[in-house]
Amino acid sequence: MVYATLAALVLPLAAGAAGMSRGFNKLLEAVVRIDVREIEFENGAKRFTGGIGSGVIIAEDGLVLTNAHVVSPQAVEISVTLANLERVSATLVGWDHWTDLALLRLDTASLKARGLGFSAANFGDSSELFAGQTVYAVGTPHGLTRTVTRGIISNHNRYFEDTGGVNGHETGSFNTWLQTDAAINPGNSGGPLVTEDGKVIGINSRTYIGAENLGFAIPADVARRVAAALVKEGTITRSYIGLVPGVLQDLERFYALASNTGMLINRVDPGSPAAKAGLRAGDVLLTLNGKKVDGRFPEQLPPIQQTIASLPVGAKVALEVKRGTQVMPFTIQTEKLESRVGEEWAFEKWGLSVRKVTRAYARENQLLDASGLIVLGAQPGYPAAEAGLARGDIITKVGSEPITELVRLKKVYEAYEAQPGPQLVEAQRNRRISLYVIKP
Amino acid sequence: MNFFRRLLLTAALTALTASAATLPELFNERLKSVVAVEFFVQAETERQPVTVMGTVIDAQGTIILPPAAILPGIPPAQLKDFKVYRPGSTEPANAAYLGQDAFTGWHFLRVEEKRRAGLVPITHYTAISGELSLSEELWGIGLRNRDEDFMPYFLGARVATVMKLPQKTAILGSDVASPGLPVFNATGQFAGLAQSSFGQNFLLFSRNQHATPILLINVEESSVVLLADEVLPHLGRVPQSVTGRPIAWFGAYGLQPMDPEVAKLLQRENQSGVVLSDIMEGSPAAQAGLLERDIVLAIDGRPLPRLKPDRVVVGYFGQQVLRHQPGEALQLTILRGTTQQEVSVRLGDEPKLAREADRAYLDRLGLTVREFLYNDGLMHRAKPGELAGVMVQFVKPGSPVAAAGLRTDDWVREIDGEEIKTYAQALSKLRAIEADVKRSEFVLLVSRGGETAVLRIKLI
Repeated sequence: MVYATLAALVLPLAAGAAGMSRGFNKLLEAVVRIDVREIEFENGAKRFTGGIGSGVIIAEDGLVLTNAHVVSPQAVEISVTLANLERVSATLVGWDHWTDLALLRLDTASLKARGLGFSAANFGDSSELFAGQTVYAVGTPHGLTRTVTRGIISNHNRYFEDTGGVNGHETGSFNTWLQTDAAINPGNSGGPLVTEDGKVIGINSRTYIGAENLGFAIPADVARRVAAALVKEGTITRSYIGLVPGVLQDLERFYALASNTGMLINRVDPGSPAAKAGLRAGDVLLTLNGKKVDGRFPEQLPPIQQTIASLPVGAKVALEVKRGTQVMPFTIQTEKLESRVGEEWAFEKWGLSVRKVTRAYARENQLLDASGLIVLGAQPGYPAAEAGLARGDIITKVGSEPITELVRLKKVYEAYEAQPGPQLVEAQRNRRISLYVIKP
Repeated sequence: MNFFRRLLLTAALTALTASAATLPELFNERLKSVVAVEFFVQAETERQPVTVMGTVIDAQGTIILPPAAILPGIPPAQLKDFKVYRPGSTEPANAAYLGQDAFTGWHFLRVEEKRRAGLVPITHYTAISGELSLSEELWGIGLRNRDEDFMPYFLGARVATVMKLPQKTAILGSDVASPGLPVFNATGQFAGLAQSSFGQNFLLFSRNQHATPILLINVEESSVVLLADEVLPHLGRVPQSVTGRPIAWFGAYGLQPMDPEVAKLLQRENQSGVVLSDIMEGSPAAQAGLLERDIVLAIDGRPLPRLKPDRVVVGYFGQQVLRHQPGEALQLTILRGTTQQEVSVRLGDEPKLAREADRAYLDRLGLTVREFLYNDGLMHRAKPGELAGVMVQFVKPGSPVAAAGLRTDDWVREIDGEEIKTYAQALSKLRAIEADVKRSEFVLLVSRGGETAVLRIKLI
């Protein structure tokens, strides 16, 4: 008994030196480097770009977790370098830019044929972390494969949102982040943040450029949930009602509220379900489906957003809202959450690249509806640029064909390829309509 | 250096022209038609001095200044202390601001009566008749700044080309006068008024960087001259009031030229046109039944001219509107789809402009509020029925509202939770808050770029 107790006391201490922990060694075997080639539709052309990131194998069947800003659906070639320095290709299972996570699957058949193995890491519980706890970041900073850096948890509940954080896509609305001072550099993205015993408690994802030792990771609890959903569905469906929350702190007295009650509605997206139901900026949300809401501090907002997002699409949600001295009930039907970044494409003979206008983009830019394609770029000297089209124009019509969806322009383009001829293009900029002619 | 080079040029020209009146004689005579004008713009916490050049146009001491002399949106009440100087003199004469003419864009001043002696209107000299010929030698007057006693100097250049922009405008090979001052030919005939100069592209080389393209604009001298027959017919357009009203209003904002390639495709080759869009609800254009995508081909039976660059035709259209009075009808020939039709538009009265709007500065809070205008509604995509709230015209740096994050051009929708319907209501609420020294805070609901935010402003 005495020995056992001693052993129990000594072992965790010994494990404190990461290099000696069996768990930590196993983790190192599960960290990979990811090289990606992806398509980019900037400047009127289809171009290939490359990037390097990190990832961590999380299951014995070869699932790799990384960042959405490392591997997106525009990736055409994903190459994973295992701990034993062997390379294997991978495919994208799904991505979720809102949490900046992507899930890959290794080509296990190829591994088997080559007789190669790997190990999978285990998740830890990110809700039990405390500030000051020692953590390690493992990854490929600046392409330096298998780099381990050490630091502590600087804050385990950091709030920030970034409307263009993942290659122009929104991120951060539905989760808080782990902050660490372990050195995180470009290339660390997608690699794990681990405890001393090698448990993955976060996925490293970003850092403040120009600041020192301010790194951020997605908590493992979020990563685990997202990964499970991506395996199952390949995508994550969220609900949207169109409320942009604000912080109530310091405003309770003005709104005559008890402390820790309510969430300020800072904005209502025009045309959203909430706007249609009559909600207004300045209203205070008191309850959501009968449950009390507390959005006093910024850190409390992502969980509230997550609650709304996890409602089924098309479900009716009951809100109680305080407006002035009145408390008013509202019923809102949720719709599917959309990014403001739509599908992209390039029409190479025209030197024109476009992106679908989405509902979110249309609302943000006060467009009348979500039809049309935004010009991402027009290559100088090519027909689109010669006609006068420029980045930011919204193409709404070609010839007599209204361009509501991307497929419509693809169809027009196919006809053009078969038989080139002048095309009358109608485009808008700041609601100003202009006509252009694309000539072969 | 530049200046001395010009002095040399003067000498050379003088030698070339030895006719009845020598150029120096003509130059000294024509100086009686030009003045330097100083005034300042009195903003909330700052005042900005301005020096511009003007031309005398009549025996009542009326002076015109170029459109760019005063930034649009500045209310006449903020324009203070107009002083007029003769070339080479430091003795100011007082002048009154009469307003801006919407059609020409000129600002009009009138010199106090007792100081009008010696001013000679530009109409006193004969104007060039007929077309200006290419390479014709013109000369004009430049004025230095106050530290050089507004010393006049001679500039000369040849006509490089004459363009319609949409008015007939001569472009000279080099600078010929200060913007706003007259230009003459060798015999002293009035040729036109120098406009703001055009930008010129240069490459900037530096030790560390390769060539960087830059655009340079000469603000002191110009090579662009609005010809006399585009100036003289409009000298009588002295504003009837300081607001420059009446101003005719059409009511479509997104006007674009019809591209020549588009014209060809629409089988309207060699025709010019203006594509209409952004037609505001309730505007004269909307009332006449005009629709987005209609293409205007002719006004009052006259086809729109083909002008270069293409966008000049939009300016032409705007001027045709402004030639009319509110209430008059404009007969438009339009192309809707593939059918041509006639539409009659009864022009309205231009909605209140920013420079005419009611506004008030609240020093303790640190902001200027301005009434919400039709044009603000346009900017914010609000329907005419939704014109409520007030605009933030100015935010004093370091003030309570600045600390709370309020910015210029924010649209205030609510004050202390009360919806703002009128400017008077907003002003009375803000004045009450400002007067209440015990007040520790107040709350604004503002819209900015389609987003709304609640701002809490701490006063103590």
